[in-house]
Amino acid sequence: MKSGYPGSRPDAPEPLEPLLRRTGRRDRAAFAALYAQTAAKLFGIALRIMRQRELAEEVLQESFVTVWERAADYDPARGSAIGWLTVIVRHCAIDQLRRRAARPESRSAPEEALSALVSPDSAETGAELRALQRCLDELDEAPHRAVLLAYCYGLTRDELAVQLAVPIGTVKSWLRRSLERLKRCLEA
Amino acid sequence: MRYDSPQLRDRLAAEYVLGTLPSRARRRFERLMAADPALARIAGDWADRLSPLDLATPTEEPPFHVWRAIERRTGGVPAASPSALRRWLDSLVFWRGLGLAGSLATAALALYLALVPRPIAPAVVAVLAGHGGEAGWVAIAGPKSGEVSFSAVAPEALAKPHDFELWGIAGGPPRPLCLLPQRPGGAVALPAARLPGPGYVLAVSLEPRGGSPTGSPTGPVLYQGKILIRAP
Repeated sequence: MKSGYPGSRPDAPEPLEPLLRRTGRRDRAAFAALYAQTAAKLFGIALRIMRQRELAEEVLQESFVTVWERAADYDPARGSAIGWLTVIVRHCAIDQLRRRAARPESRSAPEEALSALVSPDSAETGAELRALQRCLDELDEAPHRAVLLAYCYGLTRDELAVQLAVPIGTVKSWLRRSLERLKRCLEA
Repeated sequence: MRYDSPQLRDRLAAEYVLGTLPSRARRRFERLMAADPALARIAGDWADRLSPLDLATPTEEPPFHVWRAIERRTGGVPAASPSALRRWLDSLVFWRGLGLAGSLATAALALYLALVPRPIAPAVVAVLAGHGGEAGWVAIAGPKSGEVSFSAVAPEALAKPHDFELWGIAGGPPRPLCLLPQRPGGAVALPAARLPGPGYVLAVSLEPRGGSPTGSPTGPVLYQGKILIRAP
């Protein structure tokens, strides 16, 4: 699954993979073009997790500094460029949240946003999301929520345990089994 | 812990991407991936498997100062521009349209416009950048039709008896074009027809006073840039 992201949209000016590889060779123009093409999407993701513009801006900044430092490690055989970039942004956001002593109050109840997140009415979100959604729907309700809360909002295992009112061991086994089932379902 | 069990590798990769590995476990996993391409591939597959969840998240334009901070922290253009201009850049996001050299061009243009205020954005023909990405000159269509002017943004200060010479490179050996002004704000105009076409390269070499005595560059090339558009 290497396509289906902005890099493959018909209006995309340049595929992301070559830009990322050139960034790895210290090509500043490629780095600038990579930023121009992905920043809006990645900033949206940072905002989703951080919920405050200022914090999301810090995360985006930190993420692209990391991209500059690690781009040489990127290998297209290891997955899409946008997937690689998104993992960096989400991890930067999660690190930021973990460094903060307490999360903003609003983080304790992000679940109402989940239904909107996984049932978009827009046609452009396409077949990939529908396939993933179908497989997520096969999970039991609570493990399903745990996966979404972790991916979309960066909740830790501990926070999931509090949020879903179960012991941490339960969270761990839910995540493990849910991910296994998801993979089997997506590969079926 | 043994990392050769396929189930364990897959589980760790999945939780790495999901974001639920505790910080120390994540760092350890990243070190393992660096030495184990197959493991990195498993994680890449998980990233692509779960990333459709990001499709429904609305995109949002980050403010321009984020990019400036990134450039500064990665050793790029340390340009400073007045806030009115920054607001203008933020609102227009015109730099997206400039292609590869877009952000370099923006920073250079920001400085240029700060020095020579004008009502509308001129057409950027090329940005001549140093090896660190810093802009030395920006080439802009005009002032007369069929002309391109090269304006000094912030070329490095020179030891006295030297000049910067501009060269056009279009497949063959560099062709001499002119000497470039050194003082920020200084400009020189050339007929656009003398420049190579879009995609070809302009280079600036350090030469003795008065320019290269041989007709070819004799000093190091300190700045270069691609021709982005044909001057109108």
